Amino acid sequence: MSTLSRKLLRTIHTTRGQFIGLGFIVTLGVMVYIGMGTAYSNLSRSQQDFYQAANFADYYFQVVRAPASVSSKIESIPGVVKASGRIQSDVSLLKEGSRRAVGRITSYNLPQAGEVNQLHLLSGRMFASRSSGGGVEVLLDPQYADANHIQIDDIITIIAEGRKVNLHVVGTAISPEFVYALPDAATMMPDPLNFGIIMMATEQAQQILDMPDQVNQIVVKLASGADEKAIPQRAEELLQSYGNIASYPRKDQLSHAMLQAELDGLKINSHFLPLVLLLIAAAIQFVILNRLVKSHRTQIGIMKAIGYNDFKIICHYTAYALCISVLGCIIGIIAGVLLASFMSSVYSLYFNLPQAISGINLKTLLQSVALSISVGAAAGFLAARSVIRINPAEAMRLPAPPQGNKILLERWRGLWSKLNSSWKMSLRSISRNRARSLVTILGVMSAVVLLVFSMFTNDAVDYMLNRNFQDVNRYDYIVRFAEPIEYREIQYWQQWEDIYQIEPQLEMPIKIYYNGRSEDELCIGMTVDGDLKRVLNQAGERLQIPEAGLLISRRMAQRLGVETGDKVRVETKMSAGASHTAELLVIGINDQLMGSGSYVSLDTANRMINEKRIINTVMLKAAPASAAELEKQFDEMPNVSSVTSRAEELQSYYTLLDTTVYFIGIMILLSALLGLVIVYNSSIMAFNERKRELASLRVLGYSSSEVASVLRKETWLLAVIGMVLGLPAGKGMGQAYIASVSTDLYSLPVIIYPRSYIMAALGAVVFVAIGQYLATRKAGRLDMVEVLKNRE
Amino acid sequence: MRFENITKTYDMGEVKVEALKESSFDIRRGELIVILGPSGSGKSTLLNIMGGMDTPDRGQIYFEGRSLSRAGSKELTQYRRHDIGFIFQFYNLIPDLTAYENIALAAELVDNPLTIDEVLEEVGLTERRDHFPAQLSGGEQQRVAIARALVKRPRLLLCDEPTGSLDDQTGKMVLGLLSRISSKEKMTVVIVTHNTSIGQIADRILRLRSGQIIDIIVNENPLPAERIEW
Repeated sequence: MSTLSRKLLRTIHTTRGQFIGLGFIVTLGVMVYIGMGTAYSNLSRSQQDFYQAANFADYYFQVVRAPASVSSKIESIPGVVKASGRIQSDVSLLKEGSRRAVGRITSYNLPQAGEVNQLHLLSGRMFASRSSGGGVEVLLDPQYADANHIQIDDIITIIAEGRKVNLHVVGTAISPEFVYALPDAATMMPDPLNFGIIMMATEQAQQILDMPDQVNQIVVKLASGADEKAIPQRAEELLQSYGNIASYPRKDQLSHAMLQAELDGLKINSHFLPLVLLLIAAAIQFVILNRLVKSHRTQIGIMKAIGYNDFKIICHYTAYALCISVLGCIIGIIAGVLLASFMSSVYSLYFNLPQAISGINLKTLLQSVALSISVGAAAGFLAARSVIRINPAEAMRLPAPPQGNKILLERWRGLWSKLNSSWKMSLRSISRNRARSLVTILGVMSAVVLLVFSMFTNDAVDYMLNRNFQDVNRYDYIVRFAEPIEYREIQYWQQWEDIYQIEPQLEMPIKIYYNGRSEDELCIGMTVDGDLKRVLNQAGERLQIPEAGLLISRRMAQRLGVETGDKVRVETKMSAGASHTAELLVIGINDQLMGSGSYVSLDTANRMINEKRIINTVMLKAAPASAAELEKQFDEMPNVSSVTSRAEELQSYYTLLDTTVYFIGIMILLSALLGLVIVYNSSIMAFNERKRELASLRVLGYSSSEVASVLRKETWLLAVIGMVLGLPAGKGMGQAYIASVSTDLYSLPVIIYPRSYIMAALGAVVFVAIGQYLATRKAGRLDMVEVLKNRE
Repeated sequence: MRFENITKTYDMGEVKVEALKESSFDIRRGELIVILGPSGSGKSTLLNIMGGMDTPDRGQIYFEGRSLSRAGSKELTQYRRHDIGFIFQFYNLIPDLTAYENIALAAELVDNPLTIDEVLEEVGLTERRDHFPAQLSGGEQQRVAIARALVKRPRLLLCDEPTGSLDDQTGKMVLGLLSRISSKEKMTVVIVTHNTSIGQIADRILRLRSGQIIDIIVNENPLPAERIEW
């Protein structure tokens, strides 16, 4: 080992606290880069492979019912590679104890080869197209099967067309369209206990749902580069006579949109966070090395006098920074691979993807190494460059005292004259050591930003749930019927002792036309004087349901360019009966944090389909104790397709949120550790730089706690500035994050509770205090004689 | 101040260095004492123990009847705060404070300090009161250090090679200032140096070699600082 290497090792040893601290920050940066980058690339590759292998549809067309032969007509449109006709329909799934879940029957044409949206079998075997004694064969999505403890060869029961039908489960399977299995855009998270996908042969679905030789959905694969505007238009013309309910491209397909939003967020985080961390580490390395070079002034002079050239000495000091980067890389790679596998395991809870999302991504790994080493080397080199300016003869003489300077605050004479000397020392030292002060402020700020950001998603989701389940939805149960019914048919429910309040709704798919554009939407007809569901505007104020006219959803308004006062044309798309068209005045724009939908009065909705008192949904307020009894009653009614309990729904959200608590906990811990390391580093730098001053104070008769307080004042002042800047910047980061991952299907409100700001500030106080304590505890043991004797 | 059989040993890894061996002597109020000795003779150790910056391993020290040898860290801090003024070879001013503020730093510690302007005038730096240490010459910095020590009205002014970093003209001026203060304020002044010429201004001279007092010389006719030669 060369003498210089040995000297380097000793320098590392004497500054080990700082060295380890910086290594920690680099480790964090590398870990996040590798962890998130690998998770991103694995998830993204998994998505693409799956889409490709399963021949995932580019376009969806939904009709009321059409002859199966229509798919070959669509296939003949130039640019269409394949069109598969199939049936998709929601039915009631009967569970144990007569509870119900929603089953989404989705049919597949056999053989699967060449078809659009092919299945990927996870367990068991493929279903047959004809019953072979054992009844109708189906595959289930793995999450529903898991959550409800359904095994291969179990029998499940559904209610289709008013009849109970038994289905034979032959295995589990997944498909690109159910990677994230949500029933509708109003639902934020999967609820596998109450929503499942039932996959079966198209022939079987036709039989069960009484649609012989018919389909209600056509999924289309386009040639690459095909005209994505003209082809759907042509297809819609062909489907016109069959009641075209909706058509949408892959980007609006719910599962894809959710997966893509997650991927986009991950991509941003995997680049942004590590860059911030590595830049912080670089800034501190720069400041530390700068100080090291200054304090080694005589040594450097001696090395030069002996004959070492500038380059060799610069390399020696740059190597210090490089060692930090290498240490950070080694630990960061290990931690990053662990993080990637942890994230993959969390993703596999949410997303149904075929390959286990794992594997080390060599490219990400090499990138992170290159990034951290080059950032470290650059910081090291920039700081060590000052070696050149050191003149050997001059270096061995006593250095001039550092230049004290008047600061801006001194112009405020009244205040300045009231400050005692220790405040004056702290303030001038802050202004003299600008780089170090700035690093401390930015470091504390970053840690606070991360603390706020860690707590932000929890707050945002909590706020959204509260608003949705308390301010908007005020019912206890919402009961949906398989077919529309006359309101009077269920009015007798009002006489049930346990039901306090009952309000009907008519939900129907519509298409809204405006100014040459059109969009599919869900229209909800509600009673004008109802109170079990409230419609709110952007400010959260309640909107009155108009007798006539439409409260359009913000998403629709934005897509169509509609404003209040405009007139839109609305076409109804009920699955039964002919479609009707009506002109509606837009009365207002409604804002929903969860879900979508445009509102009219129940009368308007009925008028639109030439009916009087038709409904298909009922909201109820009921006695709390009656839950079990009521649910049993509803579940026994054949026409009821689903019963949703608000309390249960909310509970299942909270259960899902619980899994994120660990993640948030880790984020908070790491953010606080980051802050601690930064504060420790800058305090110890300040301490070392000012040992002599502090010893002088001790000699004058200052006690060790008075001396430590000089250092504390400086750090606290900077830390408070960092905190004050960090709190709003944390919100800013939340906003930027949401803006970058929002789609009009999926968004989060940027809500941070005051509690979280207080927690972040308290967290900062704790890490500043600990970092401070660790750095200044030596102040008490300061050896006055030793310090004052040595010039270096 | 009385020193009785003071011994101090430094543990330098495997070697033990006896900096002071069984040293005894007295210092009288208002006298100017110069402690002379080559480097490593133990003179700085003696000064540090006098100033409450270090404690002896064996022996007793009394300051105005109080024992310092058994004082704890708190008591020593109080002792330094109220009774001691220290002056170093390298001044040890706070770079972030102006001349005036460096003196105020010490004045804030005691209940009844001299006024800062008064001591600034005493050391002849009224004009330079708002300058930072980096803007002052070595002699000026040392005078600020003296003013900082004086402002607390210490009983004992301890000076460790106060002229070590100064040219001889400036050095003499500083020494003149110290002996003038000693006689005017009836303040006890102890100067540690290896420069034998400085002994000429002392009332008494203590000679140290290898940690032992080898000689105590009473100087009947101290010279004014301006007249000494080195």
